[in-house]
Amino acid sequence: MAAVLEAPYAERRSFVREWVLTVDHKKIGIMYGVTALFFFLLGGLFALLVRTDLLVPAGVFPAQDYNEFFTMHATVMIFAVIIPLLTGGFGNYLVPLQIGARDMAFPRMNALSYWLYLASGIVFLLSMVSGMPDAGWTSYPPYSVTSTGPGIDLWITGLHIAGLSSILGAINFIVTIQRMRAPGMTLNRMPLFVWSMLVTAYMQLFGTPALAGAITTLLADRHFGTVFFNSAAGGDPMLYQHLFWFYSHPAVYIMIVPAFGIISEVLPVFSRKPIFGYHAIAYSSVAIGFLGFFVWAHHMFVAGMQMSEGIPFMISSMIIAVPTSVKIFNWLATMWRGAVEYTVPMMFASLGFIGSFIIGGFSGVIVAAVPLDMQLHDTYFVVAHIHYVLFGGSVMTIMAGLHFWYPKVTGRMYSKKLGYLGFWLYFIGTQVTFFPMHLLGLAGMPRRIASYDPAFQFWNDVCTVGAYILGLGTLVIIYNLLYHAKRGPKVGPNPWVARTLEWQTSSPPPEHNFDEIPVVTANPYQPYTAEELAQAAQSAP
Amino acid sequence: MGNSWLPVQLTQMAHNVDGLFYFVLAVVTFFFVLVEVLLITFLVRYRRTKRNQVGANVHGNNKLEFVWTLVPALILVIMGVASVHDVYAAQTQPAKPVVIQVIGHEWYWEFKYPNGVDTHNDLRIPAGEDVRFDITSQDVIHGFYLAPMRMQQDALPGRETQFWVDVEPKYVGQTFLVPCDQFCGPGHPTMVGHMTIMSESDFNQWLATEKQQQSKSSGS
Repeated sequence: MAAVLEAPYAERRSFVREWVLTVDHKKIGIMYGVTALFFFLLGGLFALLVRTDLLVPAGVFPAQDYNEFFTMHATVMIFAVIIPLLTGGFGNYLVPLQIGARDMAFPRMNALSYWLYLASGIVFLLSMVSGMPDAGWTSYPPYSVTSTGPGIDLWITGLHIAGLSSILGAINFIVTIQRMRAPGMTLNRMPLFVWSMLVTAYMQLFGTPALAGAITTLLADRHFGTVFFNSAAGGDPMLYQHLFWFYSHPAVYIMIVPAFGIISEVLPVFSRKPIFGYHAIAYSSVAIGFLGFFVWAHHMFVAGMQMSEGIPFMISSMIIAVPTSVKIFNWLATMWRGAVEYTVPMMFASLGFIGSFIIGGFSGVIVAAVPLDMQLHDTYFVVAHIHYVLFGGSVMTIMAGLHFWYPKVTGRMYSKKLGYLGFWLYFIGTQVTFFPMHLLGLAGMPRRIASYDPAFQFWNDVCTVGAYILGLGTLVIIYNLLYHAKRGPKVGPNPWVARTLEWQTSSPPPEHNFDEIPVVTANPYQPYTAEELAQAAQSAP
Repeated sequence: MGNSWLPVQLTQMAHNVDGLFYFVLAVVTFFFVLVEVLLITFLVRYRRTKRNQVGANVHGNNKLEFVWTLVPALILVIMGVASVHDVYAAQTQPAKPVVIQVIGHEWYWEFKYPNGVDTHNDLRIPAGEDVRFDITSQDVIHGFYLAPMRMQQDALPGRETQFWVDVEPKYVGQTFLVPCDQFCGPGHPTMVGHMTIMSESDFNQWLATEKQQQSKSSGS
């Protein structure tokens, strides 16, 4: 058996065979990650264009260009960066390793998911040549129906392909996690990242079809003479918003629940302590995933609903704050009486993620209240909120995860100095960019405007300076990770002395993951001993 | 530093909404400070040192889980109840208001007054009276947003949304901006009207003269 498994290593494979034709979940995960980081640079470039425009009240670019920039920024960041990086990148690489499997349940379908994702990204890129979408990532009709040029059609096409990739990936994760866990790994012994991926996969499976319905009908209204959203002919533009948010609010949780999983892996390792409240963290993810399907209309409080119709959605949105705060308190308690090591991933996870994300959580409670949303909806307050969740939350966690699993994936270590520099640029940049947006929103600055009242200039300029800091931080981080992938010092199988199964095999792991399928007897969050850490410190190169 | 906090409150409703905002803000600020202080304290107090090599062998505590589930839940119930009160206050229509029709266009606001006067981007409101806006759109979705009233509703084609205001008389003579806050295309940032608060008599006089002028210009 061993001979059969090791045989492929004897020959050197061509690039095509090694990467293009691969069905290995680790290679697919790496391809997802590298592709997503490329799109992260692109989406960041659009963000910088947006912020540059807002340096002066009159705006630097024509309004039409500005509209295309913010549409592309959000579309690329959501559909080509955060979702594929968290699920396709981290999920693909880690889930089979963490459950002690040799691969995903459907390796070829897994490869197909990646190639579909790449195709969707290429479609978004094509729109940069032929005319970009200009209706925002929400693309509300009737404006998106009347908008001319191929931009919105390419946007719809790209989203459809990305959606298919998401659904196939979700099925793969559900089957893999349900059927392929190593002997002894009951559900309640799964690593918390695996729990979060299971919840995420169910959300993708049930949510994405609603988005497909929304954008298919939008395409039909644009080109085939249908009137789904044409009120003059008996259609209703609000129907689109319901369908869109029925996917897109769960999509926010698709972008944050795997991030919660990453945090739950990083914190206990560098606190040198078992995670606090394993079951509470696991089940609160399930609660968030379930409740996430009952909050969508909180995006529509002022969209033409009766005001009191918002009340049930306000209640469901506020309830979600409960499992989220349960997680925060459990993470804090994990660090309590720990032996906290200030590694780069720990800085991103603790100060970076917890310290920033809670601001997004709290502003979420504010905009969930119907009367407060009547005032703050569509202002910069909402822009501040989503960026504290998606940047202070998801991106900060992605950086924690990249710096945590990097030695596993590459077998090498990055420069810690550059890692800390990247972290501080990110932490400071996040606060400088996004905190003043709360103030602008309270003062009444609407979102999605290319030019603005001169009274808002000071804080806009502060935000723009912050965005440049984030841009610089991104370059430092990506340079550090790319440069050391081939040149960094080599590390052993488990440089962090972590407990989950991926650390019990070599770095990088062999193609078949484990020479022997491990047998699991407990959850991976077991206490540390001083001897074990001292021994690990000695054997480190 | 320009505008960086809530604008002036023109109506009693705006005072109520701000009251709710400050209550919620106080609660979340308390928890924000609590979490940040615990975070920094634990990072510093329990950092790894020669004497503190490994963390304690603690897996959880059901009593604590119970407390930090229940306490946020109870606080959210209080916030929810307070919000519901304001929702019904805003939704209950006053009797016999002055009705101003608001129509969104690409890219300007059209206002139609009870006597047929029709203006573009020029909104006049009598103070001390109940005024109701009947909001709709001629083309795409717009957002009719009055920050000093803490109120907005989208302007949709084929559907009418409403809200009402009652401006306190002390703001007579002041003007405010009426931006569109629902993205509606390249003219979105410049779709900004002006709102003037007038005394009831000035308002009626303005309506009368405006009516004369408008019928004259349409007649000629």
